[in-house]
Amino acid sequence: MGDLRKSLSIGEKLEILADAAKYDVACTSSGVNRKGKSGSLGNSCAAGICHSFASDGRCVSLLKILQSNECVYDCKYCLNRSSNDRIRTTFTPEEVCQLVMEFYRRNYIEGLFLSSGVVKNPTYTMELMYRTLYMLRNQYHFNGYIHVKAIPNAPGELIEQIGYLADRMSINMELPTEDSLKKLAPHKTQNGILKPMEQIQNRIAAYRLTIGKDARMERSASNRYLSGTIFESPRKNIASNIYTPSRANTQLPVSYEKTFTQSGTNPLQSSISLSQPDINSLQHQVTSTKADKYSPVPFVPAGQSTQMIIGATSENDYQLLTTTQRLYQQFDLKRVFYSAYVPLNEDSALPSLDTTPPLLREHRLYQADWLLRYYGFHADDLLSADKPNFNVFLDPKCDWALRHLELFPMEVNKADYADLLKVPGIGIKSAMRIVNSRRSGQLTFDALKKMGIVLKRAKYFITCQGKMMYSIRIQEDFITRQLIGEDYKSSWDVEHPTTYKQLSLFDDMKKGAFQ
Amino acid sequence: MIIYTCEDTLEDMMTCIYDAWASKLGHQNIRLMTEPIGNLELFCEYRHVPVNTQKAESVIRSIQNKISFSAYQCVYRCAMSCETNKLDVIYRFLLLGFTYGAGVMDMLQHPAVMSIFEINRKVTNESHLFREFTRFISMKGNVLTAHIEPKSDILTMLAPHFQDRMPSENWMIIDDNRRTAVVHPKDTDYYLTSLSQEEFHRLSNLEDTADPYVALWKNFFQTIGIKERKNPTCQRNHIPLWYRKHATEFQL
Repeated sequence: MGDLRKSLSIGEKLEILADAAKYDVACTSSGVNRKGKSGSLGNSCAAGICHSFASDGRCVSLLKILQSNECVYDCKYCLNRSSNDRIRTTFTPEEVCQLVMEFYRRNYIEGLFLSSGVVKNPTYTMELMYRTLYMLRNQYHFNGYIHVKAIPNAPGELIEQIGYLADRMSINMELPTEDSLKKLAPHKTQNGILKPMEQIQNRIAAYRLTIGKDARMERSASNRYLSGTIFESPRKNIASNIYTPSRANTQLPVSYEKTFTQSGTNPLQSSISLSQPDINSLQHQVTSTKADKYSPVPFVPAGQSTQMIIGATSENDYQLLTTTQRLYQQFDLKRVFYSAYVPLNEDSALPSLDTTPPLLREHRLYQADWLLRYYGFHADDLLSADKPNFNVFLDPKCDWALRHLELFPMEVNKADYADLLKVPGIGIKSAMRIVNSRRSGQLTFDALKKMGIVLKRAKYFITCQGKMMYSIRIQEDFITRQLIGEDYKSSWDVEHPTTYKQLSLFDDMKKGAFQ
Repeated sequence: MIIYTCEDTLEDMMTCIYDAWASKLGHQNIRLMTEPIGNLELFCEYRHVPVNTQKAESVIRSIQNKISFSAYQCVYRCAMSCETNKLDVIYRFLLLGFTYGAGVMDMLQHPAVMSIFEINRKVTNESHLFREFTRFISMKGNVLTAHIEPKSDILTMLAPHFQDRMPSENWMIIDDNRRTAVVHPKDTDYYLTSLSQEEFHRLSNLEDTADPYVALWKNFFQTIGIKERKNPTCQRNHIPLWYRKHATEFQL
């Protein structure tokens, strides 16, 4: 392990721990609406708010940092693995709290994303993170968004307590199969990852039932017009382990204060070893009004998510997508994120150091993920064991449409919402606009354009009042050629964000290239 | 052609709509414009409409009662836009709205509705972007100030968001181009005010230039990007250069 220096300034720590956290993908601040309240700082907006965009074009919504980059695990792909020689450091809870509060006041961030390397053991690490969040919520009165990573193999009580402070929790799947996990992350097991995931799912369900909602997370409101989405398939797995709040074993905390006084043995009290004021002294500062004393404390109200690494092992897109679908169905995850593998370490089990990140593949997987969640597609519609990978040239929906030309062209003035969604180029917003506006009159191609519906792809698949936009042959080869021609540049751009481009007389020459 | 003109505030515009409507000249024979008028047209008569609060209120009331509240919101946002033809767009939309009632909001294929929706969308999007990219600067005396230079007049759309978010902070957001500001003293309601030249200068002298969190944030922002995935085009699509003017992380 690298040297353990305690004397780093907060700026240096921030640089080290942000640098170590940047490979985590999820930076969303979405999924929960929460009003601000007098005396505390922050609110939360269900749509999520990005505050800036980094040089790689990814959004910066949350202060994404590690609590510590010390780690006892040796996951091959990770920058912070124990066998790497790096400067190791740990944030104290106060430091994190101050950064979050001051950044938030200046509208730099939407909240905190807290992950961590495994210091000493999972329990110790999780405790440290719990103390940070507890302090942030109760001493600093932070009311904004918090996304926290659960450490695999951490004890259940800690995960539960932390869930009452966070808006979203996530546990990284890392790799979709047990085999590759064994190969690249020898200290992690699939069971160690899925068990806390299931625990969080059950707790969320319990909380949702107590406030009179359905046990499963809300999905896009427009999904109610679709039939047979992945979210409504038989809930075999869910039904068996769903948590129903029976009198005997409910320990639903009524408020922070009550939790600790009731349960008596706070799981943390015994094992706090850092030089911080302990939880007992914090307890007195918890202010709760009469109104919220008896209302249940939200448990991970924005749901949980996970992430998988793309391209480090030999799994194909079909395996990844079916895993994704299973995660949505069985664990009721809100999101699954993909992270294109960036080579950081040299290891015989890993791809070589000069591999470029598979950005286009990541992009295709995200496109497919959206099709699952918003468009009523299933993994099996898009890919199959015979055709396990996505088409490089076409997006998954175009690819699907070209294999189902018998459904097209579709009459825009008649097709129902679910069918309109299957047209390449028409998304949920466009489909909704079409359905709403055609009630008051016929639609023409001109009207569609002006309504903001992009016809670039859609024109090959739709008719308005029985006519297509141009005389287009509904023929697979022809349309494929047209679409590939139009999409070629954008696909190339995704894979090669900074490489060569065609010279342009006006853009490149005017800066005096020949001087 | 008679052209009714008025100043560029909501009240003036609503009064102008009232007078244009009441003129009974025939809707196709009149047009409405906000001042300043750039190019005067031949064969047109320009009539300036002075503000009248009662008339403005009655127009706003009728929009809410006879069409819908969401239609009024749409009209309001459109009125805050920087488009030159916005007043006429609102007028044409209202003509249709008073005929069809609340259903007009869904008649997207009608040119009058289409154009108000387009402007509405632009203003909403801009106000959302400023929700994201507005940056506060710490000032002496524990006050936060933010400077913005939006194209549309979005201060009134921005303020409720920050009011809810930072109820117990002293903050103000200043629109540099229009010299208006939203001021929010701790634990009270915010108010809209205009700033004089002198106040403007005094404010800029009070900025805390030694704020350590500025450097921390810039450093964090530099660090968080992944070098192997560098993609300036994607970054520009999400945060266009134009919005970076007052964003802390893009200032040298």
